[in-house]
Amino acid sequence: MGPDASDLSLVRRVQRGERGAYDLLVLKYQHKVVKLVMRYLRNPADAEDVAQEAFVKAYRALPQFRGDSAFYTWLYRIAINTAKNALAARERNPVSYELDLQNSDESSDMVSRLKDPETPEGLALTEEIRDTVNHAIEQLPEDLRTAIVLRELEGMSYEEIAASMDCPVGTVRSRIFRAREAIDRRLREVFDGGLGRTEELV
Amino acid sequence: MIQDEVESQLSAMFDGELPQTECELLSRRIDRDENLRARWSRYALIGAAMRSEPVATARSGFARRVSAALRGAEHQPRLARGRKMLLSAALSASLVVTVAGVSISLLRGAAVDLGAGTVARTLGASGAAAGALPQAPTAGGQDAAILAHGAAAASVAAVRRGGNGEPVSYVTPVSMASGNTALRTELADLIVAHSEYSTPLMRRNVLSALVSNEDAADGASPGATATGMPANSPAAAFDATTAASTASR
Repeated sequence: MGPDASDLSLVRRVQRGERGAYDLLVLKYQHKVVKLVMRYLRNPADAEDVAQEAFVKAYRALPQFRGDSAFYTWLYRIAINTAKNALAARERNPVSYELDLQNSDESSDMVSRLKDPETPEGLALTEEIRDTVNHAIEQLPEDLRTAIVLRELEGMSYEEIAASMDCPVGTVRSRIFRAREAIDRRLREVFDGGLGRTEELV
Repeated sequence: MIQDEVESQLSAMFDGELPQTECELLSRRIDRDENLRARWSRYALIGAAMRSEPVATARSGFARRVSAALRGAEHQPRLARGRKMLLSAALSASLVVTVAGVSISLLRGAAVDLGAGTVARTLGASGAAAGALPQAPTAGGQDAAILAHGAAAASVAAVRRGGNGEPVSYVTPVSMASGNTALRTELADLIVAHSEYSTPLMRRNVLSALVSNEDAADGASPGATATGMPANSPAAAFDATTAASTASR
């Protein structure tokens, strides 16, 4: 089962009334959708609000989703339209931002800037995530690296990977899990090592 | 060991390779396990980083906020439905009250108008008849009296309402056994009703005249009045009332 098929499996569960499955789709695509919306709305807080609105709209429209396209392609269109509408509304009703300099707290401001993906610190975090992941993959044993690359880059199903690597499907599942665990361990170190708790990603 | 198995299932579920029954069980577990949620989110981040996809790390609790917004969106239609039902009930109630109020006002207005119009006609007719009375009752005067009689009865009927036939805006005089006095009572009712729009002095005069006239009528012959008009004629009754009123002053 490829990535699209795994999303479709979650979508079908949502359509059957299992809202927890939609929560998993949100967790899965929140980073991409927020980043996408930020192309239109530079303010990170606004971008998150619009991304949240896009997810709510997508949920409402999900009963009509037939699976003709990939779920993310469909979600991408909704997010783009929501961002464009928000931008148009803002141009019609421009809001003036007032800075409360008297109540500004330097330490809390620093924390918020670290979480801010558009700030240099946020961009550095994104870059560091990428470097860490790539470095962790390079250090993986060959069989684990092959399994995770075939899965994540080639989008192959476990069965296809098993056929390609000439091993049982159970072994593929185990290899992919162990590869992810090794990468995730390094990733947690990045977050725990000064750029915030890992729960902040949730 | 069990945790490893759960995390292995999580990885397989992330790839859509976990059997449906296991997915449902694991989903329930993920919903209440922040560690599994964070891991699921990082798996997505790992894949995106491998594919060099642009990502932004959303602030803490983004998915929870979406979930809360969805719960709010689900409750909204219910609240809106309830509010709509309440509003329609209130509208219906206010409509009923308004219609009832307007109906009562219209009925009262019609009764009073009718009464006032009738009295005005009666007064006009009586005045004409009174002018002709010293010589002889004219045909026109009789017609006016008959008309006034009919209109008075109609107006009294309009003023009266309810099962017991009690008038709304004034007190019913003591009923008399005689048919003639009953007619005068009705006419007096009409006058009193009309006197709501008259001066207090006029009203008092009319009432006192009515009382004295009734006393006089009871003592006189039932067939005729002092003016020679039939006792059951409203014009005569009014004339007698006016005469008594003048005498009382």
